Amino acid sequence: MAATQKLYPRGTVKRIVKAHSNRNVSKNADILIFLDYMLFMQELMREASIRSRKAGEKNISASSVRKVTERTLRKFKG
Amino acid sequence: MATTPNPRPRRSPRESQASESFTPVGDNTLTGLQRLPGPTRYPLTPSRFMTTTPSGNRSASRFTPRNRGVGAPSTPHGLRAMQRRAANTPGRDRRRSGRIQRETTFDILRNLGKALAPTSKPIQSSPQQPLEPSPEPERDEIEELDNEPATERPRLSLPVEDVEEVDEGSPEPRPPRLSLAFEEDEDITHTSIEYPRRAISEADRARLSMMSFGAPRLSENFGDATGLESDSDVGDETGVIHDEGADDTVISQGAFDRGGETEDLGRFNLNFNFPSPPAPGDGDFDEPINDDGFELPPVDFPVEDAILDDSGDIGDTAGELGIELNLPARVSLSESPGIVGGGLRAEEHIGQGKKQKKLSRHGIPVPNIPSGVIRKLATRFAPARAGSKTKISKTTLAAIEQASSWYFEQVSEDVAAYSKHAGRKTIDESDVTALMRRQRHLNGANTVFSLAQKHLPKELLQDMRLAMPP
Repeated sequence: MAATQKLYPRGTVKRIVKAHSNRNVSKNADILIFLDYMLFMQELMREASIRSRKAGEKNISASSVRKVTERTLRKFKG
Repeated sequence: MATTPNPRPRRSPRESQASESFTPVGDNTLTGLQRLPGPTRYPLTPSRFMTTTPSGNRSASRFTPRNRGVGAPSTPHGLRAMQRRAANTPGRDRRRSGRIQRETTFDILRNLGKALAPTSKPIQSSPQQPLEPSPEPERDEIEELDNEPATERPRLSLPVEDVEEVDEGSPEPRPPRLSLAFEEDEDITHTSIEYPRRAISEADRARLSMMSFGAPRLSENFGDATGLESDSDVGDETGVIHDEGADDTVISQGAFDRGGETEDLGRFNLNFNFPSPPAPGDGDFDEPINDDGFELPPVDFPVEDAILDDSGDIGDTAGELGIELNLPARVSLSESPGIVGGGLRAEEHIGQGKKQKKLSRHGIPVPNIPSGVIRKLATRFAPARAGSKTKISKTTLAAIEQASSWYFEQVSEDVAAYSKHAGRKTIDESDVTALMRRQRHLNGANTVFSLAQKHLPKELLQDMRLAMPP
């Protein structure tokens, strides 16, 4: 993980948050937001993989991800 | 021995008595052992000693098998023990009484039975049993053939029902089937039942686009979310037509049918409007009318045509979408009047290929997180569970991108709410930590830094540490 020099484009995350919230984002808050996003992705992929394996699929399918999305989003509702 | 002056004189005679049968060594140990519990019991104890051998006394004094053996306890301790035993185990008496009561009831019944049928009872029962089976086999030989299928039928029918019930019970496996059947039904039958569902699903879609309103409604209509998913399967906002070619053909048929049966559509749309007005509420009378009639084209048909020009398959699905698209647009317009939301939806749907940026609620263009980053994250988190190497297909990636865009919308609005509550104009680190705490990611065991150390590279970690000193 640490091998990747650039984990994510910070400017993009900051702009996304700024666009949605219509507020300024402090200098390093986007790191935390991205950290939370990583947790979200972890949860999402875990749920999706569980669901896809339950369904007997070999790989994670889009439908399983979509099914899980709603629930996971609700879990991450602050 | 020398504990109190009083026991000595009393004991000395006993010892003299006991000494007849005891060796002095055995006496000393025994008296020493038995004196510990209490001096009061001594008057009664000698009787024991008198009758036993010293070796027997030792064992008796240690393990006290005597007390059990003796029918009536001679020592006060023994009496107490017996009393306690009796008090602690009242079951004995109850059992006895219960036995008596049971016996009485049985007796009553027996007596009754004897009175009613004094002699014939045992005689009748034994011959009846052998008599019954003997005729049965004769019948069975004839009826077995008839009986067997009769018994099988219910067995066959039951499991099928069970399977159906199971499907109904778990809401999640259903949606894909629902979507197919739902679409077909819509096209063919135009049952009025479908419309409320559809309206709800569209309301859901509109709500998801505006995440801010999500909180109460998300929790309320959990079941409806499945409807959302079923819709999104067919015409997803990401525009990926991943599912099946068969679906596309079905959908295209549906589109043709609609073209042919426009009169029917018009009727049903009138009914369909009925649930929708409450959602907009702002007196958008023109728009629902537009939607219901095939007259709405001013908005939709250009869209459809444009996509139709692009490619046939997409055009078919978009033709389906085109009709549905208006509703979310209208809802978003009504919900947030001053905002470009209406344009947003259309742009999202049209500009899938063009990679157009969508606009947020505040009218600010929202960039997408590059799909490479998302793919990297997804592959990083997926294989932990799903085996050695998981391939993430394009459609899956699109779904994840959609989810992450929703996530960012939700999170940023939450965080904005926190910062607003704090009276700040900027979103701070504390807002995000508050969010994570509310998400139960931060607690006594986990700090921001431990999480960051687990997930983030060093550079970002350093930045974070600089930003918020622990």
